[in-house]
Amino acid sequence: MGLFDRFKTKPGAKRAVVIGLDGTPCTLARRFIQDGTMPRFAELVSRGVLLQMDTSIPDISSVAWTSFMTGANPGRHGIYGFLDLQPNSYKIYFPNSKHIRSETLWAAVGKAGRRSVVINVPSTYPAQPLNGALIAGFVAVDLNKATYPRDLVPELTRRGYRIDVDARKVQESHDALMADILETLERRIETLLWLYDTQDWDLFAGVITETDRLQHFFMDAMGGEHHKYHSAFKDFYGRVDRFIGEIASRLSGETMILMSDHGFTTIERQVYLNTWLVDHGFLRLKDNAKSVEDIAPGSLAFALDPGRIYLNVKGKFPDGIVDKADAAKILAEIKQGLSEIAVNGASVAQRIYDRDELFSGACVESAPDLCVQPIYGYDLKGAVNKTQLMDREVFTGMHTQDDATCFITTTAGEIRDGKPHITDIAPTVLAAMGLDQPTGMDGRSLIHR
Amino acid sequence: MSRNGFTLWFTGLSGAGKTTLARLVEKELKQRGHKVEVLDGDIIRTNLSKGLGFSKEDRDTNIRRIGFVCDLLARNGVVAIAAAISPYREIRDEVRGGSSAPFVEAYVECPLEVLVERDVKGLYKKALAGEIKNFTGVDDPYEAPGSPEVLVHSAAESPDASAMQIIARLVEMELVELELAELAQQTGDEEEDEEEVRARLKALGYV
Repeated sequence: MGLFDRFKTKPGAKRAVVIGLDGTPCTLARRFIQDGTMPRFAELVSRGVLLQMDTSIPDISSVAWTSFMTGANPGRHGIYGFLDLQPNSYKIYFPNSKHIRSETLWAAVGKAGRRSVVINVPSTYPAQPLNGALIAGFVAVDLNKATYPRDLVPELTRRGYRIDVDARKVQESHDALMADILETLERRIETLLWLYDTQDWDLFAGVITETDRLQHFFMDAMGGEHHKYHSAFKDFYGRVDRFIGEIASRLSGETMILMSDHGFTTIERQVYLNTWLVDHGFLRLKDNAKSVEDIAPGSLAFALDPGRIYLNVKGKFPDGIVDKADAAKILAEIKQGLSEIAVNGASVAQRIYDRDELFSGACVESAPDLCVQPIYGYDLKGAVNKTQLMDREVFTGMHTQDDATCFITTTAGEIRDGKPHITDIAPTVLAAMGLDQPTGMDGRSLIHR
Repeated sequence: MSRNGFTLWFTGLSGAGKTTLARLVEKELKQRGHKVEVLDGDIIRTNLSKGLGFSKEDRDTNIRRIGFVCDLLARNGVVAIAAAISPYREIRDEVRGGSSAPFVEAYVECPLEVLVERDVKGLYKKALAGEIKNFTGVDDPYEAPGSPEVLVHSAAESPDASAMQIIARLVEMELVELELAELAQQTGDEEEDEEEVRARLKALGYV
């Protein structure tokens, strides 16, 4: 054995690769495999198992990726959305990596003395120290605070690494946004492959978020070939496919998982739950209210993006008026009312969950009282400055909960029964690496042991 | 806040910077009103552990003694800082397990290549030439911690930067009080980010 070899990864130690495609629906992946848009992914899938996966509720990236990285439900990890309210207040804050209450997959890997390289996973900002390297994803702001160890920053800067697409470009034009999406994807792929090749790792987890940005603004492009951006959309996925091929060609015995954190579908309408709550006497707002921070006294309930409903409980919120004893009755009224929001005779709410149906753990007190899961096409929003119940905005795509992607390089016989859930990924990765699942993860490995 | 004791345990290869960092952290914590004692491995071997060699057994005994004294100090309100190679994970974990006061492991990581090149004490040259036996990293193992409370990279960061990172972690663990200047800095940072975070979320329709 050479002098330095003892510091390198042990031969025979099982390694794992997780590639994330933010927001890629399993149905779309299957379509692109069949129509030849993604030939390299098709080849890879012939060597493994492609499954449709459920994600967290709410089905937005901050909650979903945190559920991925902790293997836990929001009741444990504490992240329920991109924004939340500070304790005993209506003041909004933006949860970041410091607010995650559960241990991450890479912490568990690190405890076993193994090294992780984690790139662009949303909700990892600011970068927390780990045994390995991490570049935080959305909503990372400052590359210095997004990168651990910081000595990677100069090279990332030299390579022109970009933390994110600038979605504000859409105000300029859709062409400008598309150009920015493609350019950011190139930089992302280049950095992912550079770190894949040059870092020492046992777990490599890299996420592409440009898929999500594309779909927020161009999801309608898949509706028909006549659409201006139809071929651009497919070309984009062709580029993603070549990246998947690059990773596939590098595999040498690692278990590879390719996953998304939610699906996507086209939007018919945005639905503003706070408008409904106001119209039905549950919510009062100050004049010219901009957010729920402008809630007025006398309110029974309010909504936060996407479908989170909170009772304005006495003692929990400064102007809370709901007695605990009345909570069940008011919730039942809201559930009944919301389920009656209908379009063409069909309820917009596919299902309305009580808190206890979805969440359990130390953070359950800060959970929403209800979570409304919409049918495809009706995106639930927490905006308060809307006069109509429904409207169309610039966005043409919305998230779906039941159509995330999960591909594993294993045989069908090794996959356990039951639809995968995003919290199953971390236990699956640990099992593939030969490591024990720590307590505190709700998911279970998809691979039989 | 009453100033409670704890053990800050530096581990890492010879020459990685454990003593340097221990002294910097000592100075900073003393300025903040803590009682601090540094137990330096090189010095301990001239008194408390005099006569012990570098076999696995002797190394383990040495670490157990340092750990014992650290805990005596820590439970009496002193910040006990140990700076010893402490190459074996099992013994470090044993010391941690036996501690009645909080135990903070700080791994001073530095690639062996860099240490051999630096070779401040001239020991690596001798070890590589076979003049010193059982030298950690050369012909004796070093087991890096899996998830230390603090990890600093002395090849990539200045000692001051590493020391501040350690202090920041101790603040985060609520073992050391946040100073007003740091508090202002921290909230300033978050406010600075917040506007941009809000704008980004708004662009995607989340705010």
